[in-house]
Amino acid sequence: MSAATVSTPAVRARLRRRPPDQIRRARAFLYGYVALVTTVVVALVIGATLLRANAAWGILLNVSPAAVAAVLAVLATRGFRDRTIWSFVLAIAVAGALILVAGLMLNTMLDPAVDAACRETAEDEADCGNAAFGLGVVAGLLLLLGLPVIWNLILARAWFFARDTGGPAIATAETLRRETAASNAPAPSAASAAPVAWSDPSPAWTGASRDDTSTSDGLLVSVRGLKKHFPILGGVLRRQVGTVYAVDGVDFDVKRGEVFALVGESGCGKTTLGRTLLQLTPPTAGKVIFDGYELDDVDEDDMRPLRRRMQIIFQDPFGSLNPRMPVSDIIGEGLYAQGVTDRADRDKRVEDALEIVGLRRDYTRRYPHEFSGGQRQRIGVARALALDPDFIVCDEPVSALDVSIQSQVLNLLLDLKRDFNLTYLFISHNLSVVEYFSDRIGVMYLGKIVEMGTVEDLYRDPRHPYTVALLSAIPEPDPRRRRKRLVLKGDVPSPAAPPSGCRFHTRCWLRERLGNPEQCATTEPELRVIGGTDHRAACHFAEQIDTSAVEQIAAQQSVLETAAADPA
Amino acid sequence: MTATLQGAAVRGAPPARDVLLDVRDLRTYFHVLDGTVPAVDGVSFDLKRGETLGIVGESGSGKSVTALTVMRLLDIPPAEIVEGSEIWFDGREILSLPIDEVRLIRGKDMAMIFQEPLTSLNPVFTVGDQISEQVMLHLKVKRREGLERAIESLRLVGINSPERRVKQYPHELSGGMRQRVMIAMALSCEPKLLIADEPTTALDVTIQAQILELLKLIQQRTGSALMLITHDLGVVAEMVDHVVVMYAGEIVEQGTVHEVLLEPRAPYTMGLLESIPTVEKRGGRLSAIQGVVPSPFNLPPACRFQPRCPYAWERCSSVIPALNTVASSGRLARCHLHASEGAGRLPAALEHHRRAMAVGRGVAAQSAES
Repeated sequence: MSAATVSTPAVRARLRRRPPDQIRRARAFLYGYVALVTTVVVALVIGATLLRANAAWGILLNVSPAAVAAVLAVLATRGFRDRTIWSFVLAIAVAGALILVAGLMLNTMLDPAVDAACRETAEDEADCGNAAFGLGVVAGLLLLLGLPVIWNLILARAWFFARDTGGPAIATAETLRRETAASNAPAPSAASAAPVAWSDPSPAWTGASRDDTSTSDGLLVSVRGLKKHFPILGGVLRRQVGTVYAVDGVDFDVKRGEVFALVGESGCGKTTLGRTLLQLTPPTAGKVIFDGYELDDVDEDDMRPLRRRMQIIFQDPFGSLNPRMPVSDIIGEGLYAQGVTDRADRDKRVEDALEIVGLRRDYTRRYPHEFSGGQRQRIGVARALALDPDFIVCDEPVSALDVSIQSQVLNLLLDLKRDFNLTYLFISHNLSVVEYFSDRIGVMYLGKIVEMGTVEDLYRDPRHPYTVALLSAIPEPDPRRRRKRLVLKGDVPSPAAPPSGCRFHTRCWLRERLGNPEQCATTEPELRVIGGTDHRAACHFAEQIDTSAVEQIAAQQSVLETAAADPA
Repeated sequence: MTATLQGAAVRGAPPARDVLLDVRDLRTYFHVLDGTVPAVDGVSFDLKRGETLGIVGESGSGKSVTALTVMRLLDIPPAEIVEGSEIWFDGREILSLPIDEVRLIRGKDMAMIFQEPLTSLNPVFTVGDQISEQVMLHLKVKRREGLERAIESLRLVGINSPERRVKQYPHELSGGMRQRVMIAMALSCEPKLLIADEPTTALDVTIQAQILELLKLIQQRTGSALMLITHDLGVVAEMVDHVVVMYAGEIVEQGTVHEVLLEPRAPYTMGLLESIPTVEKRGGRLSAIQGVVPSPFNLPPACRFQPRCPYAWERCSSVIPALNTVASSGRLARCHLHASEGAGRLPAALEHHRRAMAVGRGVAAQSAES
């Protein structure tokens, strides 16, 4: 994507990046060590109490330095999140201390003088041997654990010594919490459009009123070069034998207050894009700018205050609600994670959310199986809404619902958008719903956006052959408009082996009509501006699409040639 | 479509020769722990040779059970086909036939395409084995000839190099290809009636277009009758001649596709069409049908749509509405609006519907106020 076609969104601050794998591994080792020491100490205390053996108390005395070291280790791991040399020094020092303690213990155990002294003082000589054996086990484990910690830290040393190369300031969880508070405390409009106002006007996160530092370009979400690749593991050793290019370089902007829709067939990466955008799965490359905050492989703990503002409604209302949780817990879990720990307060907000989505307040103690599909999807909406978000990713929210219920949920989503100033990313494969519901659309094919524009531009004047075919394939509930469809050949190619050049060229009707130009198979087309100001298409021959000729082509083609072509 | 409901065919007597399938007062109930579910409750329709019939309804409306009953594929019990139900197929009453004789018809004269091709194909047999099995059974041919028929029918549905495909297993094929195999299997014995139960619901839009075009072509070529079961009014508009709209186990409206989709007369059909999002309704609210489909254990006493109906009045909750004839002959709608008692209310309802179709009900109401 050239800089000429896509603007650079304003970035106010960025979030800390996730530390490298080695750091996280070292941290995991330390946590494991802490768990082990705690277990040993507790076991010894219990054992000593039960047996009332004096020697066991002695062991406890010996192990207690390890417990102190464990506490230090936990403190050190906190430091790993900051990229400072001191945290590196601290971590190495603690890991070194662990090994030192272990070495001391071993030394003591192996020292014949100490052993002899033990045998003189102890009533029963066997105690000494047992103590030495126990110490040996502990020390050996400490060594086993201490060394990998240090090894991993040394591997990741570059991360500690890296310098920040200018750029926007780093926002931590604390500053984020302060800045994003009261981002969109729902202002009850004059017409009192909201069915219910939030009964508590100041939720936990709306402490300070934020001075309006929001970006001036009116963009809430910008996605730049986002990629998500999944490894295909195979063989006995689970080596990576391939890559699924689920999302492969996507750029788009979502303006504040609009509905941006992503459409495409199954397997085109639209759901993965939604999840990666929310940082639910870490992206392989590229970044997301949400309200001026740059999210690029973010640190999970720092992300939490922003998570409240970006919510998701899932596709399957049967699979996305835990059948063992009552509604109050399903909706309240997010509230709890965001710091609403008071049970009564949480329940009240859950009830408010239920009422807003048109369910009864006393449904909180019910379980998901007691609800119909439409009601479940309302619960899913309430779960997203309870946290008072700015931005909701609606991942096929109505695909699993019957037509009459579908329109109820669409109406609800539109009402909520108006009442709570929401912005939606609407992911769907249903082009009629998208046409009704959204303002701007991005059409995805095999992990890329092939065409993007306003609903009017895209539906009246499609400029990518895939969009033309998609639109032609919509069955309209009007027998007068019965017509020959433009039927694409074959199936969507596997995202693990996308075609070269333009990804659509294997099924493209336009390419065939133009006599199979070489360019399509060799050069990847750019998502370039066509016609209108914001109408982009990724096709070398976008100008040659004549919508009036489409019907004629459709009439000529044979259905029997549309099955997948044989791989040679 | 017209014969049975006007009482032309006598009970127990075969229908006219050009009628391939004649379902009369079909009632299929399920006896389950919680009670009895009237899944199909007094459904009558007919289908002439070579014609297409669409059965439309939401989940739980009984459309699939109707098809399974016609195919005699239901387990009895828990299902019960109530005394008095009749299904005439090709001049024979098939509900009273012993199951051995049904097996001679099923797969040969009537064949079914299921919704989910992956679960309806056997994963441990090759595609060729599965298609040739029924060919061998029905046409009494040897295995080699059966495979040749299988290859032939795969070619008919547009699969390239079918000689290679017959040796493949279902998991080696894509979703669209599997559905083509299902269609090939159904066509292998040249059935007189093809029942397609949501044939494209599990497929993507572009693959759906392929399959629908294919079904149209096949039907033109072989001249078989098609019974298409779907919840998608778009698919219905595209594919069929006659439509039956089902709600809660009953037929609420039937007629030609033009009549039903362009001038719906049952409030449920009106509501369905109003609730479909279209570009004309942008900016306005969709006029969604209120509430949900009633529980089959607790159906409303009279009209089953009454609790959700915007036009309902007292009569609707006390008197069971009949399938009244509307305008042209053969055009039926189950609503009191079309009986003499409701005739006065009909113009207002139609006007209401016209507005809702044009801009969405919210906008219509606002403009009416201003």
